[in-house]
Amino acid sequence: MTTVQILLLASLFLIVLYIYLRLRSSVVDAVVFILLALIGAALVVFPDYTTVIANKIGIGRGVDMVIYFSILFLGFVCLKLYARIRRLEQTLTTIIRESAMLNARALEEEAE
Amino acid sequence: MNEDFTYILVPAFNEAEVIREVLESLLKLKYRVVVIDDGSRDNTEEVIRGLTVRYLRHRVNLGQGAAIQTGMSYAVRKGARAIVTFDADGQHKVEDIPKLLETLNEGQVDIIFGSRFMKGASTNASAGRKFVIRIGRIVNFLFTGLWLSDAHNGIRAMNRKASRKIKIRENGLAHASEFLFEVKKKKLRWMEMPVTVEYNKYSRKKGTSHMSGFKIFLHLTLYKLFE
Repeated sequence: MTTVQILLLASLFLIVLYIYLRLRSSVVDAVVFILLALIGAALVVFPDYTTVIANKIGIGRGVDMVIYFSILFLGFVCLKLYARIRRLEQTLTTIIRESAMLNARALEEEAE
Repeated sequence: MNEDFTYILVPAFNEAEVIREVLESLLKLKYRVVVIDDGSRDNTEEVIRGLTVRYLRHRVNLGQGAAIQTGMSYAVRKGARAIVTFDADGQHKVEDIPKLLETLNEGQVDIIFGSRFMKGASTNASAGRKFVIRIGRIVNFLFTGLWLSDAHNGIRAMNRKASRKIKIRENGLAHASEFLFEVKKKKLRWMEMPVTVEYNKYSRKKGTSHMSGFKIFLHLTLYKLFE
C-alpha cells in the first residue's frame, strides 16, 4: 500500500467518524454515508477499477473521471448551500422586519 | 391626495452627516415621513431626534432593498394610499415629490419611476456613472423587457395597489431592478417622470461605486436562478 492510499483511507475514516459523532444523522443517512465511504475505500485500495469504469464511459484515466465527477458534485453542493443561505437570509430579514415594525417610534415625542 | 395617508420612505445607513437636513426639507411637505435605519453604526438616531418622523430600525444591516420593503410593509399596515421612496443622502429634490404624487393621483399608473435622463430632468452625474447606468438600463431590459431611460434611481412613487403587490426580496442594491421585475410580473401600470438628481460632495463619496454595478448584475443573475 502506498503512502497516499493510507492518507486517503485515514481521511475517509475520519470523515465517517466525524459524521457519526457530530451530526447524529438518521439510520438511513448513516447507512448511505457508510456505503459511500466503503465504495470510496474500495476504489482507493484497488485504483485500477476506476480506470475500468472510466474506459467504459469514454474517459482515459480513472483519476480523471473521479476529478470530473468531484467538480460536478462540488458545484452542486455550492448551489445547494447558496440556496440555503438565501433562505436563511430571508428568514432573518422577516424577523428583523417584524421587530422593526413592532418597535416603530415617533421621534418627536422623545425630544429633550 | 390626502397628506395623512402619503408616506415618504427614507432608508438610511450611516447617514448622520446629512440626514437631518434631508428630513427637515421633506417635513415641509406635510406628508408622513418614515425613516428606516438599516442598522446604522453612527449617531443617525441621535441627530434626528425631535423631528416629526416615524423611526424604524433594523437591528442589523440588511441592505437598502430590505429597508425599503420594511418601510413599504409598515406604510401599508398604517393604511398608506401613496408611498414615495427617497434617498437619505440628499441627491434628490423634494420639489419633485408633489409632481410625482399629482400624476400618480390622476390614476393612470400604479407606479412612477424618477428619471434623471428624460427631457426636463437634470443631473450632474459624471460621465463614468452615466456609462454604468446605460449598461444598467440594458441589463434591466434584458431581464424584464422594460425599457427605461434611467436605472437605479432612488426616487419613485406608487399607489397602495402597487405597494401591496410589490414584494422586494433582494436585500441589496439589486432591489431597484427587482421593482421592475415585480411591475412586470404583477402587471402594474408604470411610467417615468423627469426628476433632478444632484450629487453633492457627500453623496458622491457615500454613493455606489462603479464596481457595485457588476455586483448588482451578479445578484440579479443569482436572483433569477433562485427565484
